[in-house]
Amino acid sequence: MADQKTEKIIVAFLCNWCTFTAADLAGTSRLKYAPNIRIVKVMCSSRVDPVFILKPLLDGADGVLIGGCAPGDCHYSKGTFYARRKIALAKTLAGSMGLDPRRIRLSWIPASEGPRFARVVNEFTKQIEALGDNPAKREVYI
Amino acid sequence: MQTLIDSRMTMPDFIAALFDKLDLAGVAAMTKLPSGEKAAYTLLTDKDDIEDCVPYFPAMPANAARAVSKFTRQAPPSKQVAVFLRPCELRALTELVKIKQAAVDNLLIIGFDCAGVFPFSKIRLSDELKLKEYREAVAKGKNCEGIRPVCSACTRFVPEGADIAISFIGRNLDEPLVLSFPSEKGKEAAKTLGLDSSSKVEASPAVDSLAEERGGAEKKLTEKIEEALSGTDGLISVFDKCISCHACSHVCPICYCKNCYFESQTFEYFPESYFTRMREKGALRLPVDRVLFHLGRLSHMGLSCVACGMCEDACPVNIPVSQIFKTAGAKAQALFGYIPGKNRDEPLPLLTFSERELEEFED
Repeated sequence: MADQKTEKIIVAFLCNWCTFTAADLAGTSRLKYAPNIRIVKVMCSSRVDPVFILKPLLDGADGVLIGGCAPGDCHYSKGTFYARRKIALAKTLAGSMGLDPRRIRLSWIPASEGPRFARVVNEFTKQIEALGDNPAKREVYI
Repeated sequence: MQTLIDSRMTMPDFIAALFDKLDLAGVAAMTKLPSGEKAAYTLLTDKDDIEDCVPYFPAMPANAARAVSKFTRQAPPSKQVAVFLRPCELRALTELVKIKQAAVDNLLIIGFDCAGVFPFSKIRLSDELKLKEYREAVAKGKNCEGIRPVCSACTRFVPEGADIAISFIGRNLDEPLVLSFPSEKGKEAAKTLGLDSSSKVEASPAVDSLAEERGGAEKKLTEKIEEALSGTDGLISVFDKCISCHACSHVCPICYCKNCYFESQTFEYFPESYFTRMREKGALRLPVDRVLFHLGRLSHMGLSCVACGMCEDACPVNIPVSQIFKTAGAKAQALFGYIPGKNRDEPLPLLTFSERELEEFED
């Protein structure tokens, strides 16, 4: 089933204040990065409920990236700390329920770091390509 | 370890004394139903009805924390109510207090050691043979054959946070009750009941032997579930039978949402959505989001899961739901060092944080 040639799809939840702005900066700076991500903008990374992560994984996305402000730099001051707990929960549950937690990544990318955003996307895409297709991708009975 | 005392009262005497000496609005406990076959959790206000009380009856038609939530959620009772709760029901109540779905003001919580309950469909009051086996298992501190799988792997069978605790494992059920009074409220009740100067009783060694047996069973259960849930194939085959009735969530004491997210419009898709998915996969099992419901529910309540076993009891297709939730829940709880039902004042893990933690989950 693991067809290395299919394009890997990564769903990315990016916070409005930092990582989404960093993605914007990467774009306006004409940085090239892997075209595999599908961005969903959220106001804060702590808005990302574990269900938001589990659903794309069950529906066949190959990876889920969550991007937010660095701890301490959160626009809402405490959001990233809550986000970290939620993502840690999602990863742990994924691991104990037969999904691969390596398909979930939480990265803190400040607004001014467009190159870092491009690097994280490239890195994560490579990592996902190495993992191969999400087995749920073609699963009918899920 | 709390001081255990000999109350010199059997269960019926004890309940009568509660009515006589404490100014109670009522007593909530398992009570025989008119059919004589089953029992239900009942709020009794009349002392004459207490002969039908069977607090020990090894069945849990509903987690009693839900019942307590009903009459305390909006406002605590104006007069004290004595509630009999199994340890997992008490833990569920503690979790419900944290999410503001119950209050313990004006409740006198009477907890008792739990030797487990049978699946509700498998036990009747007239089942003398089974009940006799159960009594023997209690006296010996052993697991009784046929109790819920999560009960036989439950290591938290001694009440935590009760006002009055009944020591039950290793004792004969018809003997006078052996009590302890862990809380201030309990100590006051002991004084009123005239029990503050009663003779002390030794803890039964059967408690330790049961804990040991249960610990072994818990380990086996965890291994079994981990093996079944390894990989996406495992996940799919475990939930293959699920008919999406959501009964597990309706009976769960922790699932309190009046409008469940998984029953909301969020999961009502436009027709195109189905056809797009079908094009990708070639076929599509309906209804969709069946496995997501379980994973999502786990992410919503798993941190508070008290492993009472209601979900599995209610499952019409025999999915080992509570064994899965106990196993996966325990791992998630361990992540935050959280023990559900332990302490009413401890915040829920997702509502608190420390600035330096969980660094292995970020980059």
